[in-house]
Amino acid sequence: MSKLEQDFQKASKEFQRLQADLTATVEARQKLDYQQSESDLVLKELKKLTPENTVYKLIGPGLMPQDSGEAQQTVEKRLDFIKKEIDRIEDQLKTIGEKAEKKKMEVIKLQTEMQNVQQQAQKS
Amino acid sequence: MAEQQVQLTDLNFSQLQEVKRQLDEEVEHLTTSFGQLKQAQTKYRSCMLDIEEVKPEAAGNTLLVPLTSSLYVPGKISDPAHVVIDIGTGYYVKKTRKEAIEYYTEKVTYVQKNLEKLQETIERKQDNLQSCVSVMQMNLQAERQGEEQPAQ
Repeated sequence: MSKLEQDFQKASKEFQRLQADLTATVEARQKLDYQQSESDLVLKELKKLTPENTVYKLIGPGLMPQDSGEAQQTVEKRLDFIKKEIDRIEDQLKTIGEKAEKKKMEVIKLQTEMQNVQQQAQKS
Repeated sequence: MAEQQVQLTDLNFSQLQEVKRQLDEEVEHLTTSFGQLKQAQTKYRSCMLDIEEVKPEAAGNTLLVPLTSSLYVPGKISDPAHVVIDIGTGYYVKKTRKEAIEYYTEKVTYVQKNLEKLQETIERKQDNLQSCVSVMQMNLQAERQGEEQPAQ
Protein backbone atom coordinates (compact mmCIF):
# COMPACT_ATOMS: atom_id res chain seq x y z
CA MET A 1 0.00 0.00 0.00
CA SER A 2 1.36 3.38 -0.92
CA LYS A 3 1.98 6.17 1.54
CA LEU A 4 -0.87 8.10 -0.07
CA GLU A 5 -3.37 5.31 0.48
CA GLN A 6 -2.31 4.96 4.09
CA ASP A 7 -2.77 8.68 4.64
CA PHE A 8 -6.13 8.52 2.98
CA GLN A 9 -7.35 5.67 5.14
CA LYS A 10 -6.11 7.34 8.29
CA ALA A 11 -7.80 10.62 7.39
CA SER A 12 -11.10 9.01 6.47
CA LYS A 13 -11.11 7.00 9.68
CA GLU A 14 -10.54 10.17 11.66
CA PHE A 15 -13.29 11.89 9.73
CA GLN A 16 -15.71 9.08 10.57
CA ARG A 17 -14.76 9.33 14.23
CA LEU A 18 -15.43 13.08 14.18
CA GLN A 19 -18.79 12.50 12.53
CA ALA A 20 -19.73 10.01 15.26
CA ASP A 21 -18.65 12.54 17.88
CA LEU A 22 -20.80 15.14 16.21
CA THR A 23 -23.87 12.89 16.22
CA ALA A 24 -23.38 12.07 19.91
CA THR A 25 -23.02 15.75 20.78
CA VAL A 26 -26.12 16.69 18.80
CA GLU A 27 -28.04 14.03 20.74
CA ALA A 28 -26.78 15.42 24.04
CA ARG A 29 -27.87 18.88 22.89
CA GLN A 30 -31.37 17.61 22.09
CA LYS A 31 -31.68 15.89 25.46
CA LEU A 32 -30.84 19.19 27.16
CA ASP A 33 -33.56 20.84 25.10
CA TYR A 34 -36.13 18.36 26.35
CA GLN A 35 -34.98 18.84 29.93
CA GLN A 36 -35.12 22.59 29.56
CA SER A 37 -38.66 22.64 28.24
CA GLU A 38 -39.84 20.19 30.90
CA SER A 39 -38.28 22.25 33.70
CA ASP A 40 -39.72 25.42 32.15
CA LEU A 41 -43.20 23.97 32.28
CA VAL A 42 -42.72 22.79 35.87
CA LEU A 43 -41.52 26.22 36.94
CA LYS A 44 -44.46 27.90 35.25
CA GLU A 45 -46.81 25.55 37.06
CA LEU A 46 -45.11 26.05 40.44
CA LYS A 47 -45.41 29.81 40.08
CA LYS A 48 -49.15 29.55 39.58
CA LEU A 49 -49.80 27.59 42.78
CA THR A 50 -51.76 28.89 45.76
CA PRO A 51 -50.75 27.99 49.36
CA GLU A 52 -53.51 25.36 49.35
CA ASN A 53 -51.69 23.38 46.70
CA THR A 54 -49.24 21.17 48.53
CA VAL A 55 -46.12 20.35 46.55
CA TYR A 56 -44.67 16.85 46.77
CA LYS A 57 -41.32 15.61 45.58
CA LEU A 58 -40.93 12.06 44.40
CA ILE A 59 -38.18 10.47 46.48
CA GLY A 60 -37.68 6.84 45.60
CA PRO A 61 -41.19 5.39 45.45
CA GLY A 62 -42.72 7.84 47.92
CA LEU A 63 -44.01 11.39 47.76
CA MET A 64 -42.58 13.79 50.32
CA PRO A 65 -44.29 17.11 50.98
CA GLN A 66 -42.04 20.00 50.07
CA ASP A 67 -42.12 23.75 50.45
CA SER A 68 -43.32 25.36 47.24
CA GLY A 69 -40.71 28.14 47.36
CA GLU A 70 -37.96 25.63 47.89
CA ALA A 71 -39.18 23.59 44.93
CA GLN A 72 -39.18 26.72 42.78
CA GLN A 73 -35.62 27.51 43.78
CA THR A 74 -34.50 23.99 42.94
CA VAL A 75 -36.10 24.11 39.51
CA GLU A 76 -34.63 27.57 38.86
CA LYS A 77 -31.20 26.28 39.78
CA ARG A 78 -31.66 23.34 37.48
CA LEU A 79 -32.67 25.64 34.64
CA ASP A 80 -29.53 27.73 35.20
CA PHE A 81 -27.45 24.59 35.10
CA ILE A 82 -29.14 23.40 31.90
CA LYS A 83 -28.54 26.78 30.24
CA LYS A 84 -24.86 26.60 31.10
CA GLU A 85 -24.67 23.06 29.78
CA ILE A 86 -26.32 24.14 26.54
CA ASP A 87 -23.73 26.91 26.09
CA ARG A 88 -20.94 24.44 26.75
CA ILE A 89 -22.32 21.87 24.29
CA GLU A 90 -22.86 24.58 21.65
CA ASP A 91 -19.17 25.48 21.90
CA GLN A 92 -18.28 21.82 21.63
CA LEU A 93 -20.51 21.43 18.58
CA LYS A 94 -18.76 24.34 16.91
CA THR A 95 -15.26 22.98 17.52
CA ILE A 96 -16.12 19.45 16.41
CA GLY A 97 -17.96 20.79 13.37
CA GLU A 98 -14.95 22.85 12.32
CA LYS A 99 -12.61 19.91 12.85
CA ALA A 100 -14.86 17.61 10.82
CA GLU A 101 -15.04 20.15 8.00
CA LYS A 102 -11.23 20.40 7.91
CA LYS A 103 -10.86 16.62 7.87
CA LYS A 104 -13.39 16.39 5.06
CA MET A 105 -11.29 18.75 2.97
CA GLU A 106 -8.22 16.69 3.73
CA VAL A 107 -9.98 13.47 2.72
CA ILE A 108 -11.20 15.01 -0.53
CA LYS A 109 -7.73 16.32 -1.30
CA LEU A 110 -6.15 12.93 -0.70
CA GLN A 111 -8.81 11.26 -2.79
CA THR A 112 -8.17 13.50 -5.79
CA GLU A 113 -4.45 12.95 -5.43
CA MET A 114 -4.99 9.22 -5.43
CA GLN A 115 -7.16 9.42 -8.52
CA ASN A 116 -4.51 11.46 -10.28
CA VAL A 117 -1.88 8.89 -9.46
CA GLN A 118 -4.11 6.12 -10.75
CA GLN A 119 -4.78 7.93 -13.99
CA GLN A 120 -1.08 8.52 -14.46
CA ALA A 121 -0.44 4.82 -13.90
CA GLN A 122 -3.10 3.87 -16.45
CA LYS A 123 -1.67 6.16 -19.09
CA SER A 124 1.86 4.89 -18.84
CA MET B 1 -33.03 28.40 5.11
CA ALA B 2 -30.10 28.09 2.78
CA GLU B 3 -31.35 24.85 1.30
CA GLN B 4 -34.45 26.46 -0.12
CA GLN B 5 -32.39 28.82 -2.20
CA VAL B 6 -30.72 26.01 -4.10
CA GLN B 7 -32.68 25.20 -7.21
CA LEU B 8 -33.48 21.49 -7.27
CA THR B 9 -33.00 21.43 -11.03
CA ASP B 10 -29.38 22.52 -10.60
CA LEU B 11 -28.49 19.39 -8.66
CA ASN B 12 -27.24 16.19 -10.21
CA PHE B 13 -28.83 12.83 -9.58
CA SER B 14 -26.75 11.69 -6.62
CA GLN B 15 -27.15 15.07 -4.93
CA LEU B 16 -30.91 14.79 -5.41
CA GLN B 17 -30.80 11.34 -3.89
CA GLU B 18 -28.97 12.76 -0.89
CA VAL B 19 -31.56 15.54 -0.51
CA LYS B 20 -34.36 13.00 -0.80
CA ARG B 21 -32.75 10.78 1.84
CA GLN B 22 -32.45 13.70 4.23
CA LEU B 23 -36.04 14.76 3.66
CA ASP B 24 -37.25 11.18 4.13
CA GLU B 25 -35.45 11.05 7.45
CA GLU B 26 -36.89 14.36 8.58
CA VAL B 27 -40.43 13.42 7.64
CA GLU B 28 -40.09 10.12 9.47
CA HIS B 29 -38.71 11.78 12.59
CA LEU B 30 -41.45 14.41 12.59
CA THR B 31 -44.17 11.82 12.06
CA THR B 32 -42.91 9.85 15.06
CA SER B 33 -42.98 13.02 17.17
CA PHE B 34 -46.50 13.68 15.94
CA GLY B 35 -47.59 10.24 17.12
CA GLN B 36 -45.96 10.75 20.49
CA LEU B 37 -47.71 14.09 20.98
CA LYS B 38 -51.02 12.48 20.05
CA GLN B 39 -50.39 9.81 22.67
CA ALA B 40 -49.60 12.43 25.31
CA GLN B 41 -52.83 14.22 24.47
CA THR B 42 -54.84 11.02 24.81
CA LYS B 43 -53.22 10.41 28.18
CA TYR B 44 -54.19 13.87 29.44
CA ARG B 45 -57.74 13.34 28.20
CA SER B 46 -58.06 10.02 29.98
CA CYS B 47 -56.73 11.63 33.18
CA MET B 48 -59.58 14.12 32.93
CA LEU B 49 -62.09 11.31 32.55
CA ASP B 50 -60.60 9.57 35.58
CA ILE B 51 -61.01 12.71 37.67
CA GLU B 52 -64.67 12.91 36.64
CA GLU B 53 -64.95 9.31 37.78
CA VAL B 54 -64.00 10.13 41.42
CA LYS B 55 -67.08 12.08 42.46
CA PRO B 56 -67.36 13.90 45.80
CA GLU B 57 -70.03 11.41 46.85
CA ALA B 58 -67.38 8.70 46.67
CA ALA B 59 -66.03 9.59 50.12
CA GLY B 60 -65.81 6.52 52.30
CA ASN B 61 -66.04 4.12 49.36
CA THR B 62 -63.68 1.22 49.68
CA LEU B 63 -61.42 0.06 46.90
CA LEU B 64 -58.45 -2.22 46.45
CA VAL B 65 -55.15 -0.43 46.08
CA PRO B 66 -52.47 -2.25 44.08
CA LEU B 67 -49.16 -2.39 45.97
CA THR B 68 -47.68 -4.62 43.28
CA SER B 69 -49.38 -6.16 40.27
CA SER B 70 -50.31 -9.17 42.41
CA LEU B 71 -50.78 -7.67 45.88
CA TYR B 72 -53.75 -5.48 46.79
CA VAL B 73 -54.74 -3.88 50.08
CA PRO B 74 -58.19 -2.50 50.88
CA GLY B 75 -58.36 1.29 51.05
CA LYS B 76 -60.97 3.94 51.66
CA ILE B 77 -61.39 7.21 49.75
CA SER B 78 -60.88 9.82 52.43
CA ASP B 79 -60.57 12.97 50.33
CA PRO B 80 -62.40 12.84 47.00
CA ALA B 81 -62.15 16.62 46.62
CA HIS B 82 -58.42 16.59 45.90
CA VAL B 83 -56.10 14.81 43.53
CA VAL B 84 -52.31 14.81 43.24
CA ILE B 85 -50.89 15.61 39.82
CA ASP B 86 -47.53 14.83 38.28
CA ILE B 87 -46.23 18.13 36.89
CA GLY B 88 -42.89 16.77 35.72
CA THR B 89 -39.28 16.32 36.90
CA GLY B 90 -40.44 14.41 39.98
CA TYR B 91 -42.73 17.12 41.35
CA TYR B 92 -46.33 16.43 42.28
CA VAL B 93 -48.97 18.95 43.32
CA LYS B 94 -52.18 18.51 45.27
CA LYS B 95 -55.07 20.22 43.55
CA THR B 96 -58.82 20.34 43.82
CA ARG B 97 -60.70 18.41 41.14
CA LYS B 98 -61.68 21.63 39.40
CA GLU B 99 -58.08 22.89 39.33
CA ALA B 100 -56.91 19.51 38.08
CA ILE B 101 -59.39 19.57 35.20
CA GLU B 102 -58.23 23.09 34.35
CA TYR B 103 -54.62 21.92 34.41
CA TYR B 104 -55.30 19.07 32.01
CA THR B 105 -57.46 21.20 29.72
CA GLU B 106 -54.57 23.64 29.46
CA LYS B 107 -52.18 20.80 28.68
CA VAL B 108 -54.46 19.43 25.98
CA THR B 109 -54.66 22.85 24.28
CA TYR B 110 -50.90 23.30 24.60
CA VAL B 111 -50.28 19.96 22.93
CA GLN B 112 -52.95 20.73 20.32
CA LYS B 113 -51.14 23.93 19.33
CA ASN B 114 -47.88 22.03 18.97
CA LEU B 115 -49.63 19.34 16.94
CA GLU B 116 -50.95 21.94 14.51
CA LYS B 117 -47.52 23.51 14.13
CA LEU B 118 -45.99 20.10 13.57
CA GLN B 119 -48.65 19.21 11.01
CA GLU B 120 -47.74 22.31 9.00
CA THR B 121 -44.06 21.45 9.12
CA ILE B 122 -44.72 17.88 8.02
CA GLU B 123 -46.85 19.06 5.10
CA ARG B 124 -44.16 21.49 4.01
CA LYS B 125 -41.49 18.80 4.17
CA GLN B 126 -43.71 16.45 2.17
CA ASP B 127 -44.17 19.13 -0.48
CA ASN B 128 -40.40 19.49 -0.68
CA LEU B 129 -40.04 15.74 -0.93
CA GLN B 130 -42.64 15.64 -3.70
CA SER B 131 -40.88 18.28 -5.79
CA CYS B 132 -37.56 16.53 -5.20
CA VAL B 133 -38.98 13.24 -6.48
CA SER B 134 -40.57 14.85 -9.52
CA VAL B 135 -37.29 16.54 -10.48
CA MET B 136 -35.60 13.15 -10.17
CA GLN B 137 -38.21 11.60 -12.43
CA MET B 138 -37.84 14.40 -14.96
CA ASN B 139 -34.09 13.85 -15.02
CA LEU B 140 -34.54 10.12 -15.52
CA GLN B 141 -37.00 10.65 -18.34
CA ALA B 142 -34.76 13.15 -20.07
CA GLU B 143 -31.92 10.68 -19.81
CA ARG B 144 -33.99 7.85 -21.27
CA GLN B 145 -35.14 9.99 -24.18
CA GLY B 146 -31.57 10.94 -24.79
CA GLU B 147 -30.69 7.24 -25.02
CA GLU B 148 -33.56 6.38 -27.37
CA GLN B 149 -32.72 9.14 -29.81
CA PRO B 150 -28.96 9.22 -29.94
CA ALA B 151 -27.58 12.48 -31.24
CA GLN B 152 -26.89 12.17 -34.95
